[in-house]
Amino acid sequence: MTRFLTILYALLAFVGVLTGQPVAAQNQAVDAIHSLIEQAEPGSVVHVPPGVYEGNLVIDKPIILEGGDQAIIDGLGQGSVVEIRAEGCTFRGFLVRNSASGVDREPSGIRVLAGNSTIENNRLEDVLFGIDLQNAPNSKVLNNEILGKDLGLARRGDGLRLWWSLGCTIKGNTVKGLRDMVFWYSEDLDVSDNRVSDSRYGLHFMYSHHTSVHDNNLSENAVGIYLMYSNTIDISHNTIRNNRGVSGYGIGLKDCDSITISSNALLANRVGIYVDNSPSAYDSTGLISDNMVAFNEIGLLATPITHNNIITHNAFLENEEQAAAHGGGNLSLNSFASDGIGNFWSDYAGYDKDGDGIGDIIHEPKSLFRSLIAREPNLRLFVHSPAQQAIELTARALPELNPKPIFVDPTPLTRVPDLTLPSDGQTTTGAPMGVLAVVLLTIACGSGWLVFRQQPFPNVLPTKVSHTIGRGRA
Amino acid sequence: MTTMAVQPGRTESGAHLSRIGCILAFARREFRDAVSSRWFLLYTIAFTVLAVAVSFMSLAGSGSQGFAGFGRTTAGLLNLIMLVVPLMALIAGAGSIAGERERGTLLYVLAQPVSRVEVLLGKYVGLAAALCCSMCIGFGLSAGALAWRAGSVGIGAYVMLIVLTCGLALAMLSVGMLLSVVSRRSGVATGLGLFAWLVLVFLSDLGLMAGTIIFKLRVQEIFALGIANPLQAFKMAVIVNMNASLDVLGPVGMYASQTYGRTLPWLLASVLVIWAIVPLLIALIVFKKRGSI
Repeated sequence: MTRFLTILYALLAFVGVLTGQPVAAQNQAVDAIHSLIEQAEPGSVVHVPPGVYEGNLVIDKPIILEGGDQAIIDGLGQGSVVEIRAEGCTFRGFLVRNSASGVDREPSGIRVLAGNSTIENNRLEDVLFGIDLQNAPNSKVLNNEILGKDLGLARRGDGLRLWWSLGCTIKGNTVKGLRDMVFWYSEDLDVSDNRVSDSRYGLHFMYSHHTSVHDNNLSENAVGIYLMYSNTIDISHNTIRNNRGVSGYGIGLKDCDSITISSNALLANRVGIYVDNSPSAYDSTGLISDNMVAFNEIGLLATPITHNNIITHNAFLENEEQAAAHGGGNLSLNSFASDGIGNFWSDYAGYDKDGDGIGDIIHEPKSLFRSLIAREPNLRLFVHSPAQQAIELTARALPELNPKPIFVDPTPLTRVPDLTLPSDGQTTTGAPMGVLAVVLLTIACGSGWLVFRQQPFPNVLPTKVSHTIGRGRA
Repeated sequence: MTTMAVQPGRTESGAHLSRIGCILAFARREFRDAVSSRWFLLYTIAFTVLAVAVSFMSLAGSGSQGFAGFGRTTAGLLNLIMLVVPLMALIAGAGSIAGERERGTLLYVLAQPVSRVEVLLGKYVGLAAALCCSMCIGFGLSAGALAWRAGSVGIGAYVMLIVLTCGLALAMLSVGMLLSVVSRRSGVATGLGLFAWLVLVFLSDLGLMAGTIIFKLRVQEIFALGIANPLQAFKMAVIVNMNASLDVLGPVGMYASQTYGRTLPWLLASVLVIWAIVPLLIALIVFKKRGSI
């Protein structure tokens, strides 16, 4: 990738030469930018000419630094590449690369140490931490692309980190192959349209309250969104897909109050939504509504102590286990319906006689195999096997074995609710699969034709057995 | 065997058949017999109808949102495959030698200038081809349903599912042929085949579950005992291939993923290969040694 980009920039430089644009002939020290900043008036726009600048850039004056997508700042593997120390700076249109890689000083691509900063349209490569805002309130981090170093998960830094930075807007950023997009002690944030993949936690909130998290796309991480000790957070319209691994939560909540999770698509994670003691305050409630929870191993997993959640108007579609209590027990302290509206469960086996879209029989899933798993987690090895079905069948045949239900939905929906969800983004053509179908059928028919085309052993071996050949044993 | 090897089979027309040619001739005959028999048609139709039904059911309700349902389809297909394919392969294998022995045609076949190894291998190859073709029909129509309703998400995993299923069929066929060789009557062989199916599909898993609870087995013991069963190895291989990890299978799966890492799929596939080769080898030895027909 890096090589490809190098070639790309070389080509760009070449095109620049052809079109008469000024292109720096060779790499220069980052001091060239320092002197430009020195000469500039505070608040003015400083255009950095295209080229590669080596060293660590420090911005200590409130200016607008414009890279025009052709300026490259290379940290040469030393410390943080860019450090912003003055309030009200804008840093836009740069390629920032090659920070140090030792985790002890947390070297970053762009470190922001002052408020009202705008970090926009940059691309960061080969950095340990991506963008690190420390005590930088009211800043904006917009449309940056952050790619990490090729390190094991334990040695990576955060793609984006906010530390005591209130009122920030984090929008349209892409993070790939780092640790977390993490928010520490930062309130009143707007986190939207970000895309995090191949990282540890997509979005990670620690003691960060009053935040809106919407329209993000979090895939292939260990965890999509993890909230810890963070209150009053609104999570909506996010697409959270394929987050697997030992944790493997789409959305995880740990001791959080007043959380709203609505209109998200939670697909093919190990666990769709994990709730650990949230809400924790006695008089607080959590709301989980209008989500599509589909194809996860477990749709909703909650510790048995979890209470006061309202789970309504969601679609629980084809999760291997729709809802489960972590470590046994049940989820009876939560309500699975609100105002007579429950959830859609694809394994609901009731009926709807009056056709009002609400099942006439309560949904209380019981599973002997599940309760066995809760008792002996090692037995999970046997899911997806006929033996599991055999056990469920036995439980149905012998009522005295009937396990207790994990939860009760008094008014289950009988149709998938019409949810306003983020677009899936995975529209593929059926052509390759169609070709596969044709190939398979051709193999079957073709080998049949090959065999039947000619007679094996003509006149030697009869295909039908003559009765004259001895019937008894030889 | 060596004498037979230097005296290749000879057709009435006088053309010499090489050893491979001989095996292929038997294979072709076995394929024809299998395809024209009722059990084969029945199982093929059952497998195809169920596979297509599972594909459609897994996709129902997810189509409007455009969410790919491939994972669920595979999970649904898994149960179906693990029930039907071993049954099909075991019964096919069990009927092969014992059936001919009972009908008396085996005597006739062995009177020809062919070796017993060629006869057995020919039958194995022919039945294996017939089984794989049968599955190609089921998977092919199922792929058509997926192409129509869900696009091509996970096509690589789907191809691997087909390959692994064929591997499972070969392993079960091998066991079936062993049972066939040791049985005198086809009824006995079929009964043994059904019993083997019951053991592999249900009893061994249920027994291992009970063992896990009663003896408090450790994860490595459960894993080792689990993959000894070709059906469990098959299931784990399919899941590894889909998710790149066995976390779905709880602590035992995580242990396997962390201990074996990238070699895990190969380990699981080699279990299937061993089950395909070893019973067939034993069957060959027994078949060669048995004096009586």
